[in-house]
Amino acid sequence: MAIRVNPKLIEDLTSFGAADVNMCYHCGDCSAVCVHSDELYRFPRKSMRQLQMGLGEKIDTALEPWLCYYCGQCSDQCPREANPGETMMSLRRWLINRYDITGIAGKFFRSKKTEILTIVAIGLLTAMAALTYHFFRGSIHVYDGENAFLPSLLVHLFDLFLGAFLAVILLLNAGNMWRLTMLKGKEISIPWWLYLKEFLVLPLHFFTQIRYAKCDTGNREKPYMPWIVHLGLMWSYLTMLILVMVFLPFLQSGPQIDWSVHIFGYLATIGLATGLVYFIRSRIRMHYVQYKKTHATDWVFVILLLIITVTGIFQHIFHRLGLPVAANVTYLLHLMAVTPWLIRMPFTKWAHLIYRPLAMYFSEVRRSAVALEQKSEVSFRPVLQTI
Amino acid sequence: MRVGVFFCQFNPEWSLALDPVIKYADNLPGVVLTRQMGIKPKPEPESLAELIRTYDFERVVIAGDSPGYFKPLFTKAVAMSDLNTEEIRLASFREHGAEGADAIDRAKAILACAVFGVPYSLAAVPKGGPVHHATLVIGGGIAGIQAALELANAGKQVYLVERTGTIGGHMAMFDKTFPTLDCAACILTPKMVAVAQHDMIRLFTGSTVEYVNGVPGAYRARIKTRPRYVDLKACVSCGICSEVCPVKVASEFDAGISQRKAIYIPFPQAIPNVYIIDGDHCTYLQTAGTKCGVCEKKCPKECINFQDKGQVTDIEIGNIILATGYDILDPTIIPQYGYGVFPNVITALEFERLTNASGTTGGRIVVKTKKTSKRTGEEEWIFDAGNPPPKNVAIIHCVGSRNKKYNAYCSRVCCMYSLKFSHLVKEKIPGANCYEFYIDMRAFGKGYEEFAERIREEGTFVVRGRSATVSMNGDQLVVKGEDIVQDKNVEFPVDLVILAVGLVPARGTAELCKLLGLKRDSDGWFSELDYNGNPTETERGGIFVAGMCQGPKDIPDTVAQASAVAAGVLRSISSGRGIGHRSSLMLSEIEARAKSIHTY
Repeated sequence: MAIRVNPKLIEDLTSFGAADVNMCYHCGDCSAVCVHSDELYRFPRKSMRQLQMGLGEKIDTALEPWLCYYCGQCSDQCPREANPGETMMSLRRWLINRYDITGIAGKFFRSKKTEILTIVAIGLLTAMAALTYHFFRGSIHVYDGENAFLPSLLVHLFDLFLGAFLAVILLLNAGNMWRLTMLKGKEISIPWWLYLKEFLVLPLHFFTQIRYAKCDTGNREKPYMPWIVHLGLMWSYLTMLILVMVFLPFLQSGPQIDWSVHIFGYLATIGLATGLVYFIRSRIRMHYVQYKKTHATDWVFVILLLIITVTGIFQHIFHRLGLPVAANVTYLLHLMAVTPWLIRMPFTKWAHLIYRPLAMYFSEVRRSAVALEQKSEVSFRPVLQTI
Repeated sequence: MRVGVFFCQFNPEWSLALDPVIKYADNLPGVVLTRQMGIKPKPEPESLAELIRTYDFERVVIAGDSPGYFKPLFTKAVAMSDLNTEEIRLASFREHGAEGADAIDRAKAILACAVFGVPYSLAAVPKGGPVHHATLVIGGGIAGIQAALELANAGKQVYLVERTGTIGGHMAMFDKTFPTLDCAACILTPKMVAVAQHDMIRLFTGSTVEYVNGVPGAYRARIKTRPRYVDLKACVSCGICSEVCPVKVASEFDAGISQRKAIYIPFPQAIPNVYIIDGDHCTYLQTAGTKCGVCEKKCPKECINFQDKGQVTDIEIGNIILATGYDILDPTIIPQYGYGVFPNVITALEFERLTNASGTTGGRIVVKTKKTSKRTGEEEWIFDAGNPPPKNVAIIHCVGSRNKKYNAYCSRVCCMYSLKFSHLVKEKIPGANCYEFYIDMRAFGKGYEEFAERIREEGTFVVRGRSATVSMNGDQLVVKGEDIVQDKNVEFPVDLVILAVGLVPARGTAELCKLLGLKRDSDGWFSELDYNGNPTETERGGIFVAGMCQGPKDIPDTVAQASAVAAGVLRSISSGRGIGHRSSLMLSEIEARAKSIHTY
């Protein structure tokens, strides 16, 4: 089978963050130091090679970038300062773009102007919609119930509508990912029942991110910190998403505090705030190699989430204090950030929430398929046999 | 002659005030156009050709830090405009050393030469006074020995200064030389003896150069000799003093794998073959004569003199040869290889001493084992001739070399000596496995590629892909890496790991540079005048570089360069024209000379 070579692959990838791929001279330090690199999925060196050779198809059908959690050991040890860790990160952005059937992701990653303008436009549209409603029915002095400025039922319906939109896009993109990685990139036949056999891998990695815990972050003072923060952020985020999507009417009722619902909201807020502080602090301190480069989309991600968290906290406080005008204004600001945030989700780094566990799942299915064909001889002295 | 001058900058960080140079170029006879093209210009060859045709240039000069980079483009344009492409001249400011205080004058001179069509090196020949016939050689390794012998055999006086107690340098520590597997000592020792016996060589061991002043051709230097405490003439090296000495110190000559006494001879073939007292460790000297002193009592020739204060010698010389060699990089700074943590991870130099027949194990290759020291009661890991030999040996190339964190350069000799190690292990331990982890195999010399092929045929496992980590799995050393040719992750349990450490300039190189007013390159080695055309001379007249101190090289290259240096010294002595500092050349002198060459 002929292999198509894309000579501009690396050039293309630079807008996604990777800058030093061409420095690599293939000593293999990075692959050897990575705890996740094994016989079947060997990275980052192999990905660097594929990039240097312009093997776009191999890159697009690869699962390896998703198996990396960017502990930074590879970039730390790299004798050429080729930054393999950052390359894997950029490849994840690249793949999000590849999986996306709408093509919006690519536009966001390639141009921060496009992304910011889109966000501002959606935010303003949201504000306009709310103010139009206010013009006809709602009153700024009422937070809840009849004549409310932003009635929770209406917002709830809007949320559900957005959620459905997101789900459809994500499903389509995940399907595209499956097509690329499991159909197009397959070297062996994969029996359908393997998907059932390995299914538990999906929730396992989704909920525990256990592979991150295995990352060798031995150079750090607190080796488990990145994993715990990442997991905490994910759990908080997920809790908040469920609260907003499913329990919004309860969340917005009050002014009394309904502990059965709000306790989750508080915990999630603490988790989000902690995660955000950790993220921003490390990106400013740049004390480990993985924090040295931050893509524009990542900053947008953090800043939006910061706005959402802060406005969310304040509208909650104002509401409980019985200040409906202040609560309504902060709530509007909150919605102006939340709407673009939600719409943006499937097209940016956020999508790794879905793609990464899927990739772990697919990789295990592939591994089982290989084991079935008995191609994988897990031997530690392979060189002896082949030379 | 109608000349067009184009200024093209290659390195954006290169900073030389071009304005005065451009003004100067405008006023040079024949120059009809000067044009500043900026940083990394990409002009269209067609428009350039048009320009050349409009002005009817007869010569085009490209000036800048690396003008050679732009030459292809100009060649194309010149060819299009029917001008002879040989009339493209380069004014390479950086390569001809236009930097520092007199950078602008130098740049002007370089430009003038290019405009006149005269090679800079032809025009920039400094004049000098008469040359003193004696030569100072700093460094008594193979390079210094070779240069000293060449000069002495030509009948010229040589002062050979060596910092340690014996000449021989690193080569004396080696067992075999690659690729012929000749015994290193068999080549070196006769040369060392010749140095000791030569009438024209005066040898200063345990000595350093304190200062050098004067002008090229007539330098004065002061050599400071540290106290040896043993009479050089009386000592017959019977060794009784060393037998009775109670102090034990790690042996420098054995790369620290064995111990010597405080009164010692570095190795049996040392030149001068005289014992030496290590003043930093001798009990008598450290306690100001209140304790010990047993060697003085036992010496049958009464040649130990604790009152030795050393000496200072002033010499007059015409030329100076630098042959200060190198040190090996300390691999403790690279944590992933575990040197200093795991006892059986050793450096190449330690292995060299281990496998040497005159070494501590008598040439038996063994692993270190834990022994309890009888004297201090501490546990220590030592090589002992009775230890078991390693069954699996890993050799890791490029340790600290070709690595932006440590040495960006290739140390050049490691590939070949590592292959030699494989051969020695396989030769001495039947059935042993050797794993060579390499990135690129640099077998560049005569017979080297064949040698590499031979090692592969002998059954060494040559793994392309550098090992990333050395770790301990229980009692077993484990070397991990990626074999990128076989496309496999590999993990070998081994008994001995040899690190092919890179080379760094010898300690004291910086001080010597300051002393002599020399330049060093970005890696710390001495800068030669011109790497291709003049690799032995330096910016300073009458100061030459030989061997490793100019940059990593193997023994054949070192010896060749040392002989070349001797030729340079003899030329300066016999020409009668003398020598001078290139840096002292005035712009007007170069200009005048360039013009005079230009006219005939």
